[in-house]
Amino acid sequence: MRLILTICLVLLPPAITRAADGPVDFVRDVRPILSDNCFKCHGPDENARKADLRLDTEKSARAALGNGKPETSKLVQRILSGDPDEQMPPPASKLSLTPGEIAILQRWVREGGRFAAHWSFQSVGDVKPPMVRQAGWVRNPIDRFVLASLEQQQLKPNREASRQRLIRRVSFDLTGLPPTLKEIDAFLADKSEQAFERVVDRLLAKPGYGERMAADWLDIARYSDSYGYQVDRERYVWPWRDWVVRSFNANMPYDRFLSWQLAGDLLPNPTDEMRLATTFNRLHSQKVEGGSTLEEFRVEYVADRNHTFAMAFLGLTLECARCHEHKFDPITHKEYYQLFAFFNNIDESGVYSYFTPAIPTPTMLLTSDGQKAAIARVESKIAESEAAWRKVGGEREAAFREWLKKRPFPAVVPNPLPGRVLHMDFEKFNSGANRSIAGRFGKGVRLTGDDGIGTKVGNFRRSQPFSVSLWINTPDEKQRAILFHRSRAWTDAGSRGYQLMIEDGRLSGSLIHFWPGNALRVLTRRKVPVAGWHHVVMSWDGSNRAAGLKIYLDGRPAACTVVRDNLYKNITGGGGDTITIGQRMRDRGFTNGGVDEFQVFDRRLVDLEVAQLFDGHSLGEALATPVKQLAATQVAGLREYYLETFDKPYIAARQAARTQRDQRGKLVDGLKEIMVMTDLDSVRKRQTYVLRRGAYDAPTDPVEPDTPAVFLPFPKDAPRNRAGLARWLTSPVHPLTSRVAVNRLWQQCFGGGLVRTPEDFGSQGQPPTHPKLFDWLARDFVTHGWDIKRALRQVVLSATYRQDSTADRELVRRDPDNLLLARGPGYQLPAEMIRDNALWASGLLVDKQSGPPARPYDLAVSFKPIKIDQGEGLYRRSLYTFWKRTGPAPVMMTLDASKRDVCVVKRERTSSPLQACVLLNGPQFVEAARVFGQVLLKKHGDNLDALVTEMFRRLTSRRPSDREREILGRAFAEQLAYFTADPKRAEAFLKTGKAPVDKTLPAVRIAAAGMLANTLMNFDECLMKR
Amino acid sequence: MAEFQHARGPGNEPADRLTRQQFLRRAGMGLGAVALSAAGSARGNGVLDHPHVTPKIKRVIYLFNSGGPSQIELFDHKPELNRLHGTELPDSVRRGQRLTTMTGSQSSLPLAGSVFKFKPHGESGNRVSELLPHTSEIADEICIIRSMHTEAINHGPAVTYLQTGSQFPGRPSMGAWLDYGLGTENSDLPAFVVLVTRGKGGQPLLSRLWGSGFLPSKYQGVRFRSGKDPVLYLTNPDGLDAGARRLMLDRLRELHRADGRSGDSLLEARIAQYELAFRMQKSIPEATDFGQEPAHVFEEYGKDSKNPGTYAANCLLARRLAERGVRFIQLYHPGWDQHGNLPGAIRNQCRETDQATAALVKDLKRRGLLEDTLVIWGGEFGRTSYCQGKLTPTNYGRDHHPRCFSMWLAGGGIRGGTTYGRTDPFSYNIDENPVHIHDLQATILQLMGVDHERLSFKYQGRWFRLTDIQGKVIQKILA
Repeated sequence: MRLILTICLVLLPPAITRAADGPVDFVRDVRPILSDNCFKCHGPDENARKADLRLDTEKSARAALGNGKPETSKLVQRILSGDPDEQMPPPASKLSLTPGEIAILQRWVREGGRFAAHWSFQSVGDVKPPMVRQAGWVRNPIDRFVLASLEQQQLKPNREASRQRLIRRVSFDLTGLPPTLKEIDAFLADKSEQAFERVVDRLLAKPGYGERMAADWLDIARYSDSYGYQVDRERYVWPWRDWVVRSFNANMPYDRFLSWQLAGDLLPNPTDEMRLATTFNRLHSQKVEGGSTLEEFRVEYVADRNHTFAMAFLGLTLECARCHEHKFDPITHKEYYQLFAFFNNIDESGVYSYFTPAIPTPTMLLTSDGQKAAIARVESKIAESEAAWRKVGGEREAAFREWLKKRPFPAVVPNPLPGRVLHMDFEKFNSGANRSIAGRFGKGVRLTGDDGIGTKVGNFRRSQPFSVSLWINTPDEKQRAILFHRSRAWTDAGSRGYQLMIEDGRLSGSLIHFWPGNALRVLTRRKVPVAGWHHVVMSWDGSNRAAGLKIYLDGRPAACTVVRDNLYKNITGGGGDTITIGQRMRDRGFTNGGVDEFQVFDRRLVDLEVAQLFDGHSLGEALATPVKQLAATQVAGLREYYLETFDKPYIAARQAARTQRDQRGKLVDGLKEIMVMTDLDSVRKRQTYVLRRGAYDAPTDPVEPDTPAVFLPFPKDAPRNRAGLARWLTSPVHPLTSRVAVNRLWQQCFGGGLVRTPEDFGSQGQPPTHPKLFDWLARDFVTHGWDIKRALRQVVLSATYRQDSTADRELVRRDPDNLLLARGPGYQLPAEMIRDNALWASGLLVDKQSGPPARPYDLAVSFKPIKIDQGEGLYRRSLYTFWKRTGPAPVMMTLDASKRDVCVVKRERTSSPLQACVLLNGPQFVEAARVFGQVLLKKHGDNLDALVTEMFRRLTSRRPSDREREILGRAFAEQLAYFTADPKRAEAFLKTGKAPVDKTLPAVRIAAAGMLANTLMNFDECLMKR
Repeated sequence: MAEFQHARGPGNEPADRLTRQQFLRRAGMGLGAVALSAAGSARGNGVLDHPHVTPKIKRVIYLFNSGGPSQIELFDHKPELNRLHGTELPDSVRRGQRLTTMTGSQSSLPLAGSVFKFKPHGESGNRVSELLPHTSEIADEICIIRSMHTEAINHGPAVTYLQTGSQFPGRPSMGAWLDYGLGTENSDLPAFVVLVTRGKGGQPLLSRLWGSGFLPSKYQGVRFRSGKDPVLYLTNPDGLDAGARRLMLDRLRELHRADGRSGDSLLEARIAQYELAFRMQKSIPEATDFGQEPAHVFEEYGKDSKNPGTYAANCLLARRLAERGVRFIQLYHPGWDQHGNLPGAIRNQCRETDQATAALVKDLKRRGLLEDTLVIWGGEFGRTSYCQGKLTPTNYGRDHHPRCFSMWLAGGGIRGGTTYGRTDPFSYNIDENPVHIHDLQATILQLMGVDHERLSFKYQGRWFRLTDIQGKVIQKILA
């Protein structure tokens, strides 16, 4: 035993085997072992629990621990047992404890077997910076914590990095770009105590700061310019990205930054910016493939929001609890769905539209102030003109009475009724599989349900009144059947257009831009009688309100429920421009249903006209009845008929309103929209259920929105919606929110967080390397108003951060991952910075903020090749590079950028020869190198030494040594000789990229200088943060 | 509650149970440099120091024929369907199972018999369709599994499922798992290479299918393109030859070594990375250049094999990569998604693939490579026995069918010349020996010497493995 432990100590970095000295720490040393090996059967999940033994709480585990004597502890005896029936973990589990782990458990039991709650679920401690011996090193409180632990380990902090290194490091960390030579010189010349502070303050004020911060946030938000999954169309979400950049630059407090993204729509008086922030929740992948099960994917979207919320803001992985109780952390299956409920209440579909570019609902119109004002103007004009129209209607009683008296006699009922644009009587009908049958009048048609009957009419705008009349005969109570529609398809077109269907036996009429969130629908209360002919009319008044859509059954208006009343864009477009009867793509047809006398009118029919169509006499009878014998209902019907048909002032007022409604369409239909969060109202609220094993089609118990109990209670007076959730999340006493935030800020500066598993603050994650510092930072962050710039400033001004990254071998061997912080950070720059740096050095960078995504060279060779930009789109900062999920920018991917499929809070850092290929030969880099060479050649002429020095400085922020100058001079000479031997080589070389070649300079020299830049752009110090 | 047990085992272990390899990695010696430069040693540069079981094979060639090839036309002969042609699919067979929303609304589900004939072939008598005359010639090499099944019903999820063990994006592909576990066998080619037939329409393929998911990105498959750059930006810029590049790299190395810089592990890794890139500039074009292949080889693979990017050329390239020690070679050939006009369309698909598929197996055998190579043929699901769209005596379409489909395996460790599993007379449900895709994955890993329950990776607090929480090795198909 002793021998084995010794070997461990020799082999392993001592920083990791702290348990060997000092008492065992339950959270750091013991719980991970129990969690990994025991909790599956002896943990929080009741269903999986074996032998009724629970080892995750002190009380339940006590009996198995023995009283400080490993010999009497059942736990220890069982793990030491060689008997396969006794041995724990059981051999069948394929788990086993190492001797080191066993030793820790034994020591723990010997020391009393004390438990402690998981560190990250306890409130943030109120800690004071410790006293240290080497107080002179300390620059701010951070350093006291770090130094105290170093002193405990008998280590010394590293020397401070050179000024060149420091300004390069901090410029990349805060703005993603290197310092200019001027900035370096100014810093070198500034001998004051505040020199570095001045640098930091200047950097934090740069617009590049927001871009650098946004780059990480886009990973967290799984931001992409395309929808994902298979078809992966482009989508319009970049205004949200610009909002992120603006918010960071404005130093929006972190609690507000989160609250807006989570619930901007639900906070008091939401502005457009606040609603735009909620796009965060809609950035998950979305599906369009035909044949998909809608609910399956809708549930997947909600789950993604839920997981993103937990990982981005709480540093927790919830996925386990989607299917069963969490095995490791105290989050139950039910709690998963309680949290899910917050995100499950928007009016969305499981697929976006294949045939139209409709934005998946809910959406927000993106309008300028001018457009907003114009919309407000037209809305008020519509209201005015509608009021005027109603008023005229009320004032025309005398004219109506006059007409009533003087109506022509005998009565004339126009046949057909005016405005009829289509009549199909099916008397001479011959259409494939559909059968001619005895109809309501003469012959009718029986539909197969798979073969639609096309027409040549029906492409109405939403401001255009219209009516459709038909006789139907349904053989059975249809769960779903399309009677007629004007649309290209059902889900594949978001149902764009209008339609009349049978749903669960009822008539359902809709006008739709994108179902369900941008549409209106009414549903009859009564069911359509089965068997026998019945007359159905759908009429629309052009008003844009559900109340304007009427359904008539057998001549009478049917009482309807409003299912949706939120149409705010056009119902035209997407194809399928004319009415089809009885069938629709991938929808259920009117199988074996009868249809007869199909008529379409380009106006709204009034009640009497509909009755006339049904019974053939109502209107005629009313017109023929003498005034005194008219029933009250007949008078009302005739009034409506008169006004709509004959009364000139009324018709003029109607036309005026219609003109304004048309105007609204013109104004709004072309406006940009973006996906946001908007909750369904209390009537339509979606009930959330626990899903058995996470399956979308296995709902069990209903649940209401709530937060997991282990952290802190949901605020009593907060609403049970995302706004309440935001309040809970940003409570100053929340144990996770501030810790997760400061950990990421630390990671941004040091390459790794104080918690090295930023994706998992739960019991399977790693505990913080400096628990007290961590708590101090988290508390300090909250106390100072969640001020991000202040927190970053404090970190980079610390002596800890300013340490040199080069360390002696002994330290590297002892602490390869720099867990002790006895040196500064050193690692390869993130993908964006590597590319931006090359563009910046060469002067090609187009440092323009915001706007549509850019398409640089490498997109042309992505897995889904994309047409690249001409001009400035080739040279924007990488933050703006067009991000397609199924074909992400290959250069970025090779350099370890995140794929942005799901929320990612830490990037992997790898090193592969594919990276070398990109940096050596990628056109973006070769072009940058040759342009850089050209710029410096122009500037320095034959002064090679000056050229080499400036090139070196711009790419590494320091001056080259004599030896380096000598090597580079030789490199230039060699390449010059190579190109001079055959000048065509130079010409070919200079053709890479679209930037112009300076014809006044010798091509061979530009090429040689370009290769010199190519060499330096692959130099360690150019690519590494040191 | 075994079904609830997620993976756990040697992967990215807790700190005090690191393998030697991981220790090196943590010490900064690892990453691509180690993964790709440990020449000569067959094992030991993945996270597993030793195979869990004796490996039967060294490499896999996976011929992914995507879109859902119809088992009823190719390997699962159902004369009963011809007798019942045009009659409704009995409810007793369908048992209320979900259909895609493409045929879910169809009023009628008439059965459609195949227009193609089947015959027993070889000594084994394996039944193969007349559509596959060349595959018929290797009937004694292949083990046909007729009882594959999956839960996924649409292409994206189904292909992702077969490749990564999960229907949803984010998990590593099979080749990435093996690269992670076993490392590479060669010094200057990637361990996991992907070849996609060029210019085929059909359901789109996505790079995440060969992605590394949550594993470090160096384990992702490297797609060889059919153009001038088989690997992204492998070729020097115009005007720069290998000599000039060598000079430049020599100076770069000198720079890296100047002023006493050395010993830094990241720097060493970088130097190695550039050297390997330089070697790849030679080794990859050498592997992809067919110039030295004799005429009879092209004859055997078919005339398409001279045309880069075709399935036939990719089969030949797969053999060349196998010879050079690439561990996992993943081909994709889309176009099998025949919702309508199936008889005509499947004829074309078979013409494009049959000859080269068989040639690859024969060629590997002749070179003695088949005994330690596993060749896999198959798609992501099968097709329905009922017709989608219009049914006529000679024309029909078939919708997706996840409940049964056929695949075949050949090579090391496989009982060639056999058939495994049986479907009902409708090729709708499985009657005997069902093989879930997780079982197939477990079997592939087993053949490579890996216990599928013990190759795992901890990500976001959970241990993950290729087979998720399922998978049983199909012992009966193993030799």
